[in-house]
Amino acid sequence: MPHPMQGDVLVIAEHWKGEPEGVTLQMLTKGRELADSGGVGLAVLVLGHGLDDVVEVLRGKGMDTIWVLDDPALARAGGGVEAHAIAEAVRAIDPGLILIGYSLVGMELAPAIAVGLGVTAMTNCVDVGIEDGAVVVTRPFFDGTQHAKIVLEGKGPPLVALQGGATPTVGLGATEVAVRPVAVDLSAVPARGQVLEVIEEAVSDVDITKAEIIVAVGRGIGGKEKIAVIEELTQALGGLMACSRPLVDLGWLGRERQVGASGKSVAPKVYLACGISGASQHLSGMSDSRLIVAINKDPNAPIFQVAHYGVVGDLLEIVPALTAEARKVAG
Amino acid sequence: MKIVVCCKAVPGAVTDVEVAPGGKALQFQSQFQAMNECDEYALEEACALKRAYGGEITALAMGPITTQDILYLALAKGADQALRIDVRVQDPQVASTVLAAALGKMEFDLVLTGTQSRDTLASFVGVAAAARLGLPFAFAVTEVEKDGEQSIKVRKELGGGRFADIRLGLPALLCVQTGIQPLNFVPPGRMLRARAQPIRSLSLTELGLTEEEIVPRGYRYQSVSPPERVGRVRFLEGATPEIAAALLARIRAAL
Ligand SMILES: Cc1cc2nc3c(=O)[nH]c(=O)nc-3n(C[C@H](O)[C@H](O)[C@H](O)COP(=O)(O)OP(=O)(O)OC[C@H]3O[C@@H](n4cnc5c(N)ncnc54)[C@H](O)[C@@H]3O)c2cc1C
Ligand SMILES: Nc1ncnc2c1ncn2[C@@H]1O[C@H](COP(=O)(O)O)[C@@H](O)[C@H]1O
Repeated sequence: MPHPMQGDVLVIAEHWKGEPEGVTLQMLTKGRELADSGGVGLAVLVLGHGLDDVVEVLRGKGMDTIWVLDDPALARAGGGVEAHAIAEAVRAIDPGLILIGYSLVGMELAPAIAVGLGVTAMTNCVDVGIEDGAVVVTRPFFDGTQHAKIVLEGKGPPLVALQGGATPTVGLGATEVAVRPVAVDLSAVPARGQVLEVIEEAVSDVDITKAEIIVAVGRGIGGKEKIAVIEELTQALGGLMACSRPLVDLGWLGRERQVGASGKSVAPKVYLACGISGASQHLSGMSDSRLIVAINKDPNAPIFQVAHYGVVGDLLEIVPALTAEARKVAG
Repeated sequence: MKIVVCCKAVPGAVTDVEVAPGGKALQFQSQFQAMNECDEYALEEACALKRAYGGEITALAMGPITTQDILYLALAKGADQALRIDVRVQDPQVASTVLAAALGKMEFDLVLTGTQSRDTLASFVGVAAAARLGLPFAFAVTEVEKDGEQSIKVRKELGGGRFADIRLGLPALLCVQTGIQPLNFVPPGRMLRARAQPIRSLSLTELGLTEEEIVPRGYRYQSVSPPERVGRVRFLEGATPEIAAALLARIRAAL
């Protein structure tokens, strides 16, 4: 049975080079809202080695407590050790709800943390709230064409993995924050996974992050040879062409053009999505675009959730018409 | 290398989606089932590893009898044998329990799964199964190579254009990312030959599990429906030239 939340809302922070990731700031915004409505505190757990910078940046981002788990063993730890460390820290902190990002890092850690703690996990959530004292999440099913609302009623704090871009980041007012160490004994954990190196992708000639107009093509294009239709529109509009992941996987376009969680994040003035369903991993890379236009033959395609304007129809009909119109106006 | 590849049969387009009585599952109608996309890539990677290092591949799928179709496809693509766990499970936490129980009875150096199934969109089962078995794991793997007798080196995606190279002791479990290998076309003749091969199946009892242990716990579906348009989308309608003109006007106004 649902019972009122006891214990803080705990956000598991993700950070890189001393900066919290965007999804962490979004979860802090959401976490504040949940903590306030549940009458509990908002805490964040930061782990790794050499954490002073990120702790400094996190201060004043609206949480009541920053738990710091700093251990040299975490500098190059694989997912198994990290998940173990988080699970043990969570046991010590004893929160009422755990939020983690549904990012690539979160996708790896969340299942192992949930198994370690024996708690209910819900991944890929677009929303989380508290209703009648119970934690309620909304998440997609079936390629995102359906959304289910799910009431969590298990024992222990539920683990909710939130999609990037699902919540806006609101600049939160500074609060009195307690920075507290949390210690976990990692010496006895078998480290059968070790990070050898972290590699950052080199900047390429085509830099879609700088474009003002992006025409993005997805699997709905239906064939490599038809990409020419999109190229023509891109030229007529004076933009850059980008794509969803399957086109890169199929070898139709280069990785430098991929938008999304495992590609580039873009925020152009205009993002025109053609034949892209709008999976969460795609949306998290483009939902901040100023004007989003989507052409898709499925009115339930999740891309329409972030689009400002939509056309339900065949892109092979709409796109050439749009190209002709753009040429007419330009010429 | 002995490799197990977890392949899931997933529905294509679904209709009539509803919360099942009891609130523990979603029910729906669907026309066809296919092998989950990233699992096809996992299988392709297993074939590449077998070519490079020798060994054998077992395709493992959990699901009702209709799931056999994707196992035949796995055999046609290069799996040496196929095993079906005769249980219908939707919940990812339970799925990981059942798969872990099956894997616990098998011999392997490496387990490959996909990153996400297209029906539950959970990205949960692979790593959870590894955690239950105490295996080292990596998620969103894009390259695999042997690195000594009892270890492998893999590259995995971290997002935001970053990758990590990691070393894992064997046995290990990898969640394979799409695009790791090009997908090979299966000639119809191979598919026909595969259909003549036997597929072993294991029941819940043979895995030492009870019905009680596969009841989803800790949540209840409240409702399911096409996504609410929380956004502000305005659909443009009319003849194609009109739509084109209206779209272009909006695009120009935004620049
Ligand atoms: C760990 C992980 C990381 C990922 N990272 C990324 C990422 O960085 N970027 C990314 O894009 N994806 C990523 N994905 C994949 C993502 O989950 C989706 O599978 C992918 O975005 C789908 O691409 P798509 O929309 O082009 O194809 P589909 O989902 O197949 O959609 C095709 C769409 O085209 C429409 N369509 C078909 N024909 C037509 C037509 N003639 N006219 C108009 N519309 C048509 C269909 O209705 C459908 O909506 C990742 C997945 C995982 C698990
Ligand atoms: N019923 C199943 N049978 C075999 N493998 C599965 C099953 N369910 C999930 N998996 C594996 O786990 C991966 C992740 O699934 P999920 O956690 O549901 O997104 C899939 O890509 C499969 O490799």
